[in-house]
Amino acid sequence: MTTSAYKMKEVDTKKALFTIFTGICKGCGLCMEKCPAKTLVWSKTLGVYGTPAVEPKDAEGCTGCGMCATVCPDCAILIERKK
Amino acid sequence: MSKVPNMPKSWREETKPHKFCPGCGHGLILKALGEAIDELGIQDRVVFGCDIGCSLLSWDFFNVDAVQTHHGRTTPVMTGIKRARPDRICIAYMGDGGGYAIGSGHLVNAAARNEKLTVILANNCNYGMTGGQMAPTSLPHMKTETTPYGRDPEVTGYPTQGPEMVAAITRESAYVARGTVANVRQLKNYIKKALQNQIDGTGFSFVEALSGCPTNWSTNAKDTWAFIEKGMTEYFKVGEIKDPAKKEA
Repeated sequence: MTTSAYKMKEVDTKKALFTIFTGICKGCGLCMEKCPAKTLVWSKTLGVYGTPAVEPKDAEGCTGCGMCATVCPDCAILIERKK
Repeated sequence: MSKVPNMPKSWREETKPHKFCPGCGHGLILKALGEAIDELGIQDRVVFGCDIGCSLLSWDFFNVDAVQTHHGRTTPVMTGIKRARPDRICIAYMGDGGGYAIGSGHLVNAAARNEKLTVILANNCNYGMTGGQMAPTSLPHMKTETTPYGRDPEVTGYPTQGPEMVAAITRESAYVARGTVANVRQLKNYIKKALQNQIDGTGFSFVEALSGCPTNWSTNAKDTWAFIEKGMTEYFKVGEIKDPAKKEA
């Protein structure tokens, strides 16, 4: 098995732990448009092509629905819901 | 650093990030295909054939045996593999240029012969790899590299409606559907049914997926979704066109 060595950034929100793998995020922005809570914004952290990655703007907005992870063509987002 | 991205198991992780442009629909179609392969548990039996065009960038996408063929010739190559090794699950993956322009004869005849293989076709309304020229599927009045004033249907005809064309000449046992990357779960179900149709040996299965091309459409994320969800689905109706399971019920 391969070991994952992608750069990543974790953002802890109230409902879920949001992980963006900046090593595979190309910064296309499809997730920002599909987010039903409109909580995703461009991040200061850069993605693999040197374009901004995404992150939730605060701890409140994210509902942990996982829509961003579903529409990501690169599987760069991981949502772990808190109970 | 022990966390791993939630990729389908059949994806080859060391080739990621994949070679497609940011926001490309191919990633979503191949994600749906990867999940379908995982859920059916057929990874060790799949042979994956990709066409020339953007779709060839998927040659190392999966941990399966893959072959890359000449433009439009994926269908006959996979037909040959299927006839030589009927136990394999053969998937022909192509774009609208390969499937509807140069390879339309192969696609139509494979469908007419009811070959037991699965064809998955990404429709993004242009030729992506060569710079966004007009394709058979470009919408009327759509601006492309070779139609700067918009496609004139009087001169170049109307867009090809592939699934309708394939459905018209196939037998009852064929599965034909059109999905969209705007609804990945539905697309995954269509691909799963198409693969199941081949596993059962029922007949030809064909899935067209409406896909985005932000690079050549020159759209941002918002306009990309708008074009896929409104512009394209107005002309290309999403849904199952032929389903052998439904006929019996």
